[in-house]
Amino acid sequence: MLAVIRPDSWNLPLFLHVLGAVILFGATATVAIAGFAGLRWKDHAPLLSRLALRTWLLAVVPSWILMRVAAEWILGKEFPDKTPGWVDVGFTVSEGGGILLLVLGAVAWRWARREGTGGAGTAVSWLASIAVLALGVAVFAMSAKP
Amino acid sequence: MSTYQWLLFFHVTGAFLLLGGGVVAGALNLAAVGRDRPSEILLLFGLIRIAVGAILLGTLLAFVFGLWLVHEAGYGYGDGWVITAIVLLVLGNALGGIGGRRDDRTAQLAREYAAAGDAPSPELRARVRDPISLALSYGSGLVLVALLAIMIWKPGA
Repeated sequence: MLAVIRPDSWNLPLFLHVLGAVILFGATATVAIAGFAGLRWKDHAPLLSRLALRTWLLAVVPSWILMRVAAEWILGKEFPDKTPGWVDVGFTVSEGGGILLLVLGAVAWRWARREGTGGAGTAVSWLASIAVLALGVAVFAMSAKP
Repeated sequence: MSTYQWLLFFHVTGAFLLLGGGVVAGALNLAAVGRDRPSEILLLFGLIRIAVGAILLGTLLAFVFGLWLVHEAGYGYGDGWVITAIVLLVLGNALGGIGGRRDDRTAQLAREYAAAGDAPSPELRARVRDPISLALSYGSGLVLVALLAIMIWKPGA
């Protein structure tokens, strides 16, 4: 197989898209870890609930925006007319995932407001885990392009 | 799916585990820097171990399947961008590893203070905010971002 070369003008949007996606992946995983840890170590739940909310606000939201805006940027260059199926999978995950992440933020805010008590910690843990798994599906679609 | 598609999937999955694990470690480290109670610092440093597992697995996947991809896609092992990528991968992991060992000693100190009443200590506070440890850990992250840029631009390919 010959070396796979893409036009230079695609590199910056692709870099920003992948950078946004890996930060989103790590930040969402951090929220999930904080959630599960808060369920296990109740005396540290106030700290962990604030960590989940701050991570959502300062890392999850900006990285989702970076990933999504850069995706539109490169899409306009690579597929100006019709998008292939693997791109549609990415859109489905990022847009459905965007709604999921908004719900996650609302629940994380409620958990932090209640100082790490109540059932919101369970919801934060599982919603963030589902979002991480959805990102895994997107990684498969974006990289393998089946 | 072709062999190339499978190799790319495992290589990119490795990159996500490596860089995503770095983001998790960075977020938990940053949270620890803002804390004073030894038990809280101990907990946050303990959670970083989950990220270290992802980083190690990601490094292995990205390296092995990356080398395989070089052959499969028709690049050369002597290409400048391939050598630069390997050097950056080793450098990033070395910096993170050295920083991690310093953090392990800080976690041990936090464990001792937590067992002895969990009162804030200036010594522990200074260790958590140690500029050398922070520079090693965050320097490692910057090296990995540079590695991502090399993998996308492939200068000279």
